[in-house]
Amino acid sequence: MEVQSERTEYRQYAIEEYVLSEEPFYLPLKDEVELFTAAFHQNIPVLLKGPTGCGKTRFIEYMAYRLDRPLTIVKDVTGQSEGSANHGLPLVTVACHEDLTASDLVGRYLLEGESTRWIDGPLTRAVKAGAICYLDEIVEARKDTTVLIHPLTDHRRILPVEKLGQIVEARDGFLLVISYNPGYQSALKDLKHSTRQRFMAIEFGYPSRELEARIIQHEADVPDSLATDLAKLGEKVRHLKEHGLAEGVSTRLLIYAGRLVQKGIPPRRACQVAVVWALTDDHEVQRSIEEVVSSIFE
Amino acid sequence: MSRSSIRRLVGRFEKELAPFSTALAAEFRSSAEVACDLLEPEEVALWAEDGLELARRSWRSWEAASEYFRATPQVLPLIGFVTMRQWVQRGHDLVEQSSSLAAAYFRASPDTLPHLSLSQIDDWVILGQHLYKGTWRSASLAVQFFDMSPALLSQLSLDEVRALVRFVDVLAERSYDLAAHCLSATPTSLAPLPPQDREAFIRFAEILAYTGWADARSYLEKGPGLLSQIQASQRPRFLNLTREVARQEGRQAFTFFTEGARALGQLEGDDHPYLLSLAEDLASRSPVAAMEFLKSLPQVLVRISVDDLHHLHAFGLALLEASIEGGKAFFRLQSSKSDEVLESLSSRVELSRVAEILRMYCKALTGSNVAIHSADALAEKNIGWVASERPSTEGTAIYLPPAVDEYQDKAQSFGVYKVYSTHQAGHLEFGSFDFLFERPGHIFPDERHQLEEKRGGPKKALTDIERFFDLFDDRRLASDLFAVVEDARVDRLVAQEYCGIRSIYRRIQDRELEKRPQPEDLPLRQAFLENLILASLEGFQRMRWPVTMLGLMRNALGLLRGVQQPQATVEDSAEATVRLYSLAQKVPNIVSDLEREWQRLEEEGAELPQDMDSLSQALTQLMQSGQEQSYESPQPVEFRGEFKPELVQLLMRLRQEKETRQTQASPPALSPEQLQQLMDKSVEITLNEMAEGDLAESSALFLANLLKETTPQRPEKRLPYHDGQPPLGMPREGEEGELTCEPNYSYYDEWDFRASDYKPRWCRVAEYSLSEGEAQFFEQTLTKHSSLVSQTRRQFELLRPEMFRKIKRLLDGEEFDLDSVVDFLVERHSGHQPPGKVYWRRNKVERDVAVAFLLDMSASTDEEIMKHERRYGQDDFDDDPRRYFSWWMSRRAQDMLTPPKRIIDLEKESTVLLIKALETIGDSYGIYGFSGYGRENVEFYVIKDLEEPFGQRIKQRIDKIAPVRSTRMGPAIRHATAKLDAHDAKVRILFLVSDGRPQDHGYGRDRTEKEYAIHDTHVALLEAKRKGIVPFCLTVDRYGHDYLKQMCDDIGYAVVADIEALPSRITTLYRRLTE
Ligand SMILES: Nc1ncnc2c1ncn2[C@@H]1O[C@H](COP(=O)(O)OP(=O)(O)OP(=O)(O)O)[C@@H](O)[C@H]1O
Ligand SMILES: [Mg+2]
Repeated sequence: MEVQSERTEYRQYAIEEYVLSEEPFYLPLKDEVELFTAAFHQNIPVLLKGPTGCGKTRFIEYMAYRLDRPLTIVKDVTGQSEGSANHGLPLVTVACHEDLTASDLVGRYLLEGESTRWIDGPLTRAVKAGAICYLDEIVEARKDTTVLIHPLTDHRRILPVEKLGQIVEARDGFLLVISYNPGYQSALKDLKHSTRQRFMAIEFGYPSRELEARIIQHEADVPDSLATDLAKLGEKVRHLKEHGLAEGVSTRLLIYAGRLVQKGIPPRRACQVAVVWALTDDHEVQRSIEEVVSSIFE
Repeated sequence: MSRSSIRRLVGRFEKELAPFSTALAAEFRSSAEVACDLLEPEEVALWAEDGLELARRSWRSWEAASEYFRATPQVLPLIGFVTMRQWVQRGHDLVEQSSSLAAAYFRASPDTLPHLSLSQIDDWVILGQHLYKGTWRSASLAVQFFDMSPALLSQLSLDEVRALVRFVDVLAERSYDLAAHCLSATPTSLAPLPPQDREAFIRFAEILAYTGWADARSYLEKGPGLLSQIQASQRPRFLNLTREVARQEGRQAFTFFTEGARALGQLEGDDHPYLLSLAEDLASRSPVAAMEFLKSLPQVLVRISVDDLHHLHAFGLALLEASIEGGKAFFRLQSSKSDEVLESLSSRVELSRVAEILRMYCKALTGSNVAIHSADALAEKNIGWVASERPSTEGTAIYLPPAVDEYQDKAQSFGVYKVYSTHQAGHLEFGSFDFLFERPGHIFPDERHQLEEKRGGPKKALTDIERFFDLFDDRRLASDLFAVVEDARVDRLVAQEYCGIRSIYRRIQDRELEKRPQPEDLPLRQAFLENLILASLEGFQRMRWPVTMLGLMRNALGLLRGVQQPQATVEDSAEATVRLYSLAQKVPNIVSDLEREWQRLEEEGAELPQDMDSLSQALTQLMQSGQEQSYESPQPVEFRGEFKPELVQLLMRLRQEKETRQTQASPPALSPEQLQQLMDKSVEITLNEMAEGDLAESSALFLANLLKETTPQRPEKRLPYHDGQPPLGMPREGEEGELTCEPNYSYYDEWDFRASDYKPRWCRVAEYSLSEGEAQFFEQTLTKHSSLVSQTRRQFELLRPEMFRKIKRLLDGEEFDLDSVVDFLVERHSGHQPPGKVYWRRNKVERDVAVAFLLDMSASTDEEIMKHERRYGQDDFDDDPRRYFSWWMSRRAQDMLTPPKRIIDLEKESTVLLIKALETIGDSYGIYGFSGYGRENVEFYVIKDLEEPFGQRIKQRIDKIAPVRSTRMGPAIRHATAKLDAHDAKVRILFLVSDGRPQDHGYGRDRTEKEYAIHDTHVALLEAKRKGIVPFCLTVDRYGHDYLKQMCDDIGYAVVADIEALPSRITTLYRRLTE
């Protein structure tokens, strides 16, 4: 339901009704699009692995847009939006954090006047709507929460809603996707094997210099040569992973730098604020990366 | 009186003198002849009477009389009869005291008196008398003085001699031998000094006699030599300064003198007046600071220029005004402030300061782990490189000059480093060493194989580059050409890949161009190479070439442009080398006098192939014009440094082989013979200690070095002890595998409370893993303390937090809280507007504690608990570890029979209990021990590292906890702090367990001083606190309260009075600390 009035300048969607109206730009790095499509049609839950900012979220948006609900005609829920819904699946994204509880996902009672009212949580909504449910950074969630998704991710495809004493069957098109960054996980915070082994995994790495240059060029709307230089910087800085840096520079940061340049910030400065300072507080490492920056950019 | 009566007179005296000694009589007779000629007869009588008088004085005084008579013929003409009576009168005075004194006086007179005025004679005698104290030793010193007087007075004025006598006199109070020695050494010491310096020299000696008499001898021996290093006019000034120091600082004066003079000796003589004037400014506040300033100058002036010195001076002077100690430390360069000031004034960039940045920079560029080392290190390895300041690489590391100081500011100097390392990294990044003979290039068609066929097929070669160089008769020429071409390729790729570095690259190229020779000054073939180099440096307008052979040069430049295309590979460089070589071969290496024929070359000339006829014509013409020279390699391009692909490939191959050999046992594929062959032909190898004619030996050494080079790098092997005895608990050489012996070094500042400043990088902490003993100890302790174990365990289990705590009355949460809902509804019904806080949620409260236990493993922990009250002075051994060890060994032998319980044993037991407890609650913990000797050898033993899981090995290490040496707490705390700081936890604790106050060699002004160590420890603890770590000190020293209050101001501490209770106390305290 799109609530749009004169006064509000934002759009508001019911969580499960949010579908992308425009095809997101996504540049496939390998065969991940085919893999995901196959998994979707076979109802196999998917785990996306990879360092931060390497395009996992973008990928899932892209897939949501591309995929159609099999054998069902998508009905425009409100009848208001102009045909955008006939493209793609709704996408429900939940960012997991350590206080995320089962009721945060499934739903809870709310007080309303004299009585209480049940309201579905995002997971329940996605299950009912047949959406792609994307649980970002799943390892952050508490163990008792992760167990909740088990019946959804095997052949049963059901979600028990204890409080209501109900079981919701997943609609066609529902797919659970979780993401996970193996980089900074300590042994403490690892996925349980019973959880892990319910998903197929697609690994995302950093794109090659050429691909990354194209991504940056598109996303930041900068000339080719600058995009290439930024991608080059990305490649060089990533060499420092585990040699001063805990994590390589993300495509996201490189895009930020590009966008700053696009707005007239000199490249060296843009890289300093968007890459160097964003990456590390260690002065020596900062200095080294700045030297790389000043070697690449005039 | 007639002649005969005179003779009678003489005869009479002779007869009277004869009984004393016939020699005396004889002396009298021979002098009498002269006397009679010069004197009136009455005077002769008086003269003789005086002698007789002398002889009568005492039983040996005839000797003095004899000297008197003997001296007369020379003395009389000098001073005349009247003064001579005075002179002899002094002799009478002396003989009263000692006849030998008088004898010496008379004996010295003939040669001494010419240096004195008549009025000075008395003064001279007084000086001699001054030295005589009535003892025979003093007499002989006085005699020596008279004997030496002629020599002394020929060099010194009487005033100066007076100063000397005072000096000798003071020394004599300490030691007559020393006094005598110094006196006798004086004339030779003074000889090299110009007269005007002598007074100041002696005056300093005089002061020294009071303050550092033991140094007097060295001063006389070495002083003049040292002084001579100082500019002549400035020596008195310097001596005055040192005199001030001596007045104030006494004992150290001579050391300051020596070091100050040496320091000045290293500096420009013309600067001495200025430098000394700066020192004098300081001297008015603190002479010691002035000397420290002088001493540090050579070090300082490497980093900053004399013109900038006044900034440093002014800064230090201001500091000195605030605190003398602070100023001294500043000028001693033992303070972080001096470090900062120097660094800010200096345009010089030192490799050690930027190595880490450059390392990461190169790592980023190449993607491989490149180390950065100083260029000297490469030469020292003796694997084919010789000492040079030029950058280079051997495949895994980049070698750079130790410092760069050519520019006005630091940024520019750093730029030099950056260009150097970018070029070297470029070789690695763009594959200079990945040359494969079989791989075709991208630009040039393959000619390598054809050439090899022509030369009879492939020969045996160790590396691909070697195989390639084997294609050429003139290996040096080929190697030089390959270097030019490959460097040009790499530089071009660098410029293309890194636009940002172009401008500094350009600057450095331009500077290089200014240093290049003119091609027209070189023999022709060398000019050919020089033109190629100039082209690669974009120095086109400097290129010159004989007009008749223009085509050939253009052809060559075309080839160079070929490898400068982006897609060119190292194989293309090789192909270009093949082609350039054949061109270069055509060019005779002659000095041509056909100067006007040299012409400029344009940047982009048409690549006309040389017309063969005109070329041969030109060549014949040239041949006649000059002499064939032997070929010399071109002057190296500084920023490109040394490029040795053949050696690098060899090293890479050796490394590879070593790796594969480690997995499968195969014999070394490389024989010394093969290597010998390579050495014979390669032009890249230059050996350091290549003994002529002893090639076999040096090549064996070379091989050994090469092989050593290819083993995994280990840090310098320094044993952590001085006296040949490994500290206890450390494996001895050859025992238990030496791997455990390799320490990791870290450096820490130390707080100097007097200077209120850190001494930068003052302490070196060596981190070892403690060796492993038996696990029994662990188990035994557990059984022995089983009740305590289960008790602490229960307590710790209580500590284990509920993972989730329910929090009620929230506006939002997991669930309704039934009670709140009821309340809410009730209030609503009664018409209130209750806040809707009806939810509860479970909050995760994780116990997230990391603790580092730091155990004192100093020698004093060896003490038996019973005798704890009567502790021996650990200080007694502080400066002599040998003594300590022998004491310890005998003690140990005695204790073997009945091992008494020692503090260390309790520390060990506590560790066991702690581990047991900590494992229950799952805190991360590290257990470390520390000891050491001196600031360079702080030992830090890892029993269990923070990240390390507990296991068998740790149990075994606990067994090896043993007393070692001193207690330098500061650096140990800093090291443990660094470990904790790198560890991510909400609560981090540093738990220090010690048995006494911190003390170590040089941890304070002397070994009795407590203040310094306590201050440093206090500051180290504060540093930890500032990093968000909770420090806590526990001591078993019952006198601990005295210093702990000061040391742990603001920091938690406890004293365990009943030492036996340590194990239970530790656990209790820890529990409290983390609750
Ligand atoms: N393959 C790609 N095609 C197009 N854009 C990409 C691609 N990879 C990365 N991006 C860009 O990088 C940005 C960051 O990617 P995204 O937000 O998807 O990262 P992420 O993997 O979800 O990171 P995180 O783990 O931090 O959530 C995107 O906004 C997009 O602009
Ligand atoms: Mg994301």
